[in-house]
Amino acid sequence: MALPKRIIKETERLVADPAPGISAAPHEDNLRYFDVTIQGPDGSPFQNGVFRLELFLPEEYPMSPPKVRFLTKIYHPNIDKLGRICLDILKDKWSPALQIRTVLLSIQALLSAPNPDDPLATDVAKHYKEDEKDAQRVSREWTEKYASA
Amino acid sequence: MNEDIPRASSVSSASSHPAPRSSSPASSVKSEEPPTKKRRLSPKGAQQARFTSKYLGSFLIGNAWSTVRGSGYVKPGDEILVERDQPETSTTKKTQTANQKKSGGAKKQLSIATMLKAQPPKFAKKKEDTVVRLTNKRGFEFGRLPQDVASWVSRLIDLDIVDFHGSTVIDCPLTLRSGVDLIVSLSIHIKASAFKPPSTSAKEKPPATFNEGQETEAEQILRERKSALLNLFKNLDLKPNRGTSITQKVPGKLDQNDLEMLTQRPGAQKGKKAVKTEIVGDGEEIQVEGADDELSENQLNLIYKKAQQNDQSLGEMNPAETFTLTLRGYQKQALLWMHSIETGAASAREEHSMHPLWKEYIFPPEPGEGLIDLTSDDMAFYFNEYSGELSLDFPKAVRNTRGGILACVYTVSFVGMGKTIMLSALIQTARGPEEPSKEGDSNGRSKARQLKLNSAFRTSSRKQVGQTKGPSATLIVAPTSLLSQWSEELQRSSASGTLKVLVWHGQNRQDLEAAFEGDNAVDVVITSYGTLVSEHAKLERASSSASSIAESFIGVILDEAHHCKSRQSKTARAVYALNARRRWAATGTPIVNRLEDLYSLLKFLNFTPWSNYTFFRSFITVPFLARDPKAVEAVQIILESILLRREKNMRDTDGRKIVELPPKEVTIEKLEFSPLERKIYDSFYTNAKRDFDQLNAKGLVSRNYTHILAMLMRLRRAVLHPNLVLTSDEGSSKETSTGVIDVNDLIERFSKGEGTDGDTNVFAEKVLANLGEEADMECPICFDVMSEPVIIPNCMHQSCKDCIVAFIETCRDKGEEGRCPTCLRGPVKESELIEVVREADTKASGSTTPTQSTVTLRRNDFRSSTKIDALLQNLRRLRDQDPCFRAVVFSQFTSFLDLIQVALERERLAWYRFDGSMDIKRRNEAVTEFKSTSREPKVLIISLKAGGVGLNLTNANHVFMMDCWWNAATENQAVDRVHRIGQEKPVYVKQFIISDTIEGRILQIQKRKTAIVKEAFRGKGSGTDPESVENLKIMFGEGNDS
Repeated sequence: MALPKRIIKETERLVADPAPGISAAPHEDNLRYFDVTIQGPDGSPFQNGVFRLELFLPEEYPMSPPKVRFLTKIYHPNIDKLGRICLDILKDKWSPALQIRTVLLSIQALLSAPNPDDPLATDVAKHYKEDEKDAQRVSREWTEKYASA
Repeated sequence: MNEDIPRASSVSSASSHPAPRSSSPASSVKSEEPPTKKRRLSPKGAQQARFTSKYLGSFLIGNAWSTVRGSGYVKPGDEILVERDQPETSTTKKTQTANQKKSGGAKKQLSIATMLKAQPPKFAKKKEDTVVRLTNKRGFEFGRLPQDVASWVSRLIDLDIVDFHGSTVIDCPLTLRSGVDLIVSLSIHIKASAFKPPSTSAKEKPPATFNEGQETEAEQILRERKSALLNLFKNLDLKPNRGTSITQKVPGKLDQNDLEMLTQRPGAQKGKKAVKTEIVGDGEEIQVEGADDELSENQLNLIYKKAQQNDQSLGEMNPAETFTLTLRGYQKQALLWMHSIETGAASAREEHSMHPLWKEYIFPPEPGEGLIDLTSDDMAFYFNEYSGELSLDFPKAVRNTRGGILACVYTVSFVGMGKTIMLSALIQTARGPEEPSKEGDSNGRSKARQLKLNSAFRTSSRKQVGQTKGPSATLIVAPTSLLSQWSEELQRSSASGTLKVLVWHGQNRQDLEAAFEGDNAVDVVITSYGTLVSEHAKLERASSSASSIAESFIGVILDEAHHCKSRQSKTARAVYALNARRRWAATGTPIVNRLEDLYSLLKFLNFTPWSNYTFFRSFITVPFLARDPKAVEAVQIILESILLRREKNMRDTDGRKIVELPPKEVTIEKLEFSPLERKIYDSFYTNAKRDFDQLNAKGLVSRNYTHILAMLMRLRRAVLHPNLVLTSDEGSSKETSTGVIDVNDLIERFSKGEGTDGDTNVFAEKVLANLGEEADMECPICFDVMSEPVIIPNCMHQSCKDCIVAFIETCRDKGEEGRCPTCLRGPVKESELIEVVREADTKASGSTTPTQSTVTLRRNDFRSSTKIDALLQNLRRLRDQDPCFRAVVFSQFTSFLDLIQVALERERLAWYRFDGSMDIKRRNEAVTEFKSTSREPKVLIISLKAGGVGLNLTNANHVFMMDCWWNAATENQAVDRVHRIGQEKPVYVKQFIISDTIEGRILQIQKRKTAIVKEAFRGKGSGTDPESVENLKIMFGEGNDS
């Protein structure tokens, strides 16, 4: 199956004009599979961390959302132990007008603004709700521990 | 047994018998009116007076039988007399050499004549008496001829053709008993009176009262005479000395199997043909198409076989110098053939000048001493096997016609053989006025026309001058769609300025009279059948000078001459009335589906005697229906002298194919319905099948044939596009409304705040205002330049149509409502999308007139279908491979063409359309524009019926058949618009078939037997033919679809 023109274009643009703090590069043997890094946003507990993710564009893309997962361990109420992300645009709010770049930017934003009311990692969410300060401390620790470049 | 027939002559039986030809013509009722045409066929014998009867031969009859008991009547070696009873006896007797005369002979003859006048119709009902008696010299009957011999010998006697003097008994018992076998030798002498022309047959009846089904008394006599003579010749073992023999094995001769095959076909076409103008609702296409079917290819080939047998040996001729193209070998042959016919030179193809239907026989030497024969040389006589006429004079081939049929044909595959070019060469080669003197004496019909003309032009004095000069222009009558093609081809093939061509058609026809005047007189006038008919009508209405078509032409060429195949149609009548000496009919199908089709052409060509309908009917139609091989042979002979047939697969003298065409590749692309289409189709199919099964169970299929055909028609439409079968208010209203939305309306709506919030309004206004300029916006979904941009009505976001539609479907599959991909606003429905249609020249004109002029908005109410998608897919692929391809798309349904057209529009492909509803001007424009050179791809969509013939589209080399027709020939003919002379590239033909539908079955039937299909789906509305019912069963049968 030939690669749709859209994916080629997106890839080209990601490489030529990367979003700040985000990099994404396709695998040579599978152009639908991307290695992604996201820098933790300044002012967030994830600041200075560099998080690795994997992103896969399914056959139906862009009608279906890309599949994205954190590879770097992260302490975040919307990201579980396996790195799965709870983000509406990756699910029911997906729109084909979105793209890899916007997805990654959304994920970056999610790091800045965790949403413990819609949790995926329930224990982390609980922690955030009960003692946000302490939870952020753990997040910072994890970032230092797992996500330091 | 015949014994019960009274021997004594009775007045009543005599009165109702056919008129025996008396030896004195004046006393005969019939011979008072020898029709003009007849004379030509049977030349008057100058030698007639030189003998009263002449020995023709003798033959043995081994099973004559005795009627008496006793001895002394006859003994072997005795001369005997052969006699007939009753009225016949009288005439027979008169010419017998024996002196026995029954009393009252003369008297009876008188009464016959009088009675005949009074009540001829009773004739046919009288039971035939065929008793032939043998008497000895003393006048005692002693025996009779066996029935099989007597059946025809009696006719010979009755018709006064032979006598039997010198007949003898070869062997018999000494004592006769009733029923004992006698061996007799009949010595046949043909009487001088036999060589008089049969006095009947060619009498033309007024067409109004003509009864096609009835054989006239005259015809019956002729037929009997013919068969009796043929029997005689067979028994005498007389072989023709020379002549276009059908009794010898010649290459073109039909063998027995062929004949059986030909005659097997009932061919019983009663009633009038379905005329092209018959339009009956859904059955329309079938009905119309029904007129297009034909005898099977094999049958036609057999008929044409003879006409072609000598063609390879034809010489060639170079065209006039003004002719600028190069003719191929076979075209040069055709030119020679046509030219020699026109100039009246001996036909290039006829080896001898004897009339083709006649054969020469030599009188055998008389046994013993010649009593009457005064000539010492071999004396010949001539016999026409088709009419039964005998003649002592050499029957010259008479060709009062300067013309023929140019059949550029098409058996395996219909192809343009360049007949236009051939005829152009002919026109240029045989130019210059012909001396008008010959016109006058040609025949009565031409005189009549001349008269009409004179009266028509009484007011014009200039005309008289013109006429004495003799006409020099050629008239070409062609289907409307081909007029400009003719004109172009003529110009193309002639040195510029040497051939002046006038297309004479439409509202503003100029005065032909003027066109013929002066130095700039036109050489060729091209007109349509329609124009011809209306001019002819004018002429008939008012004998004023209202019509200029009555103008004399030196020649008339009918293109696609089968247009006038129905002899009673207005077209045919107009064509017959044309005044020209040289007449040509060019057609691919001289015989469309019955032998009588040929008649109309013969009538146009004025090819006597066949142009006489009664004659044609007597010797062709009636025998053919009676499965008499002679009919087919007669047609062959006719064709041999006037038909030049060329087909693509024929080979020239060197064995090369006369035409080399690039290869043609036909592929069938099988497609699968979308689930929705499948559902729609299946429901139609189930209904139709249920109907059919019910009718079939009740045995009412044949009575409801039309209804079933209509159902089939609907199924065939359902295969193409669901819209074609949806009820009209649902489907067509959407279709007819163009769905065009005024951009300004939308802008206004938004500026009035009908939208939601202010931001959107500003955005929307901007979007709408910039529509004209932003032709290359990127689709938010595929990231490509929007190929078919649509606007989502609420938020004014744009996207490719395919992309947004796919997204809406994805949403629907998940049970969600469609939404805008950009702003997620919903719900968005497919049918609410607004298409942005930009004119092709957007970029050029965009800057000066930004918005409204170049952009149209249209509701997305177009639904594609599997077939259309497949077509578009193919076209896209083509465009990728060859950015300036030319493709031709055929469909039978103009309503489907409408949809294809929209699809192509959306695909931004330049398309041109050609169908029967367009007037000639628009058709020409379409073709011309399609042919004009440009660097962009072009598609021509054609209705199979309007564009299936004649058009020359060799600039394209891709053909798409959107549907399949009952017979493959029609499809092939369409493909040959492209695959014909002039085509330089390989031709790719693709036919789209949806699997598991009626189309698969149509293909099955196509393969099964073309002839049957043609017969079965003729669509006359009377499907009484069991074959048709069988075929319908296939259509609805359980058989597996391929």
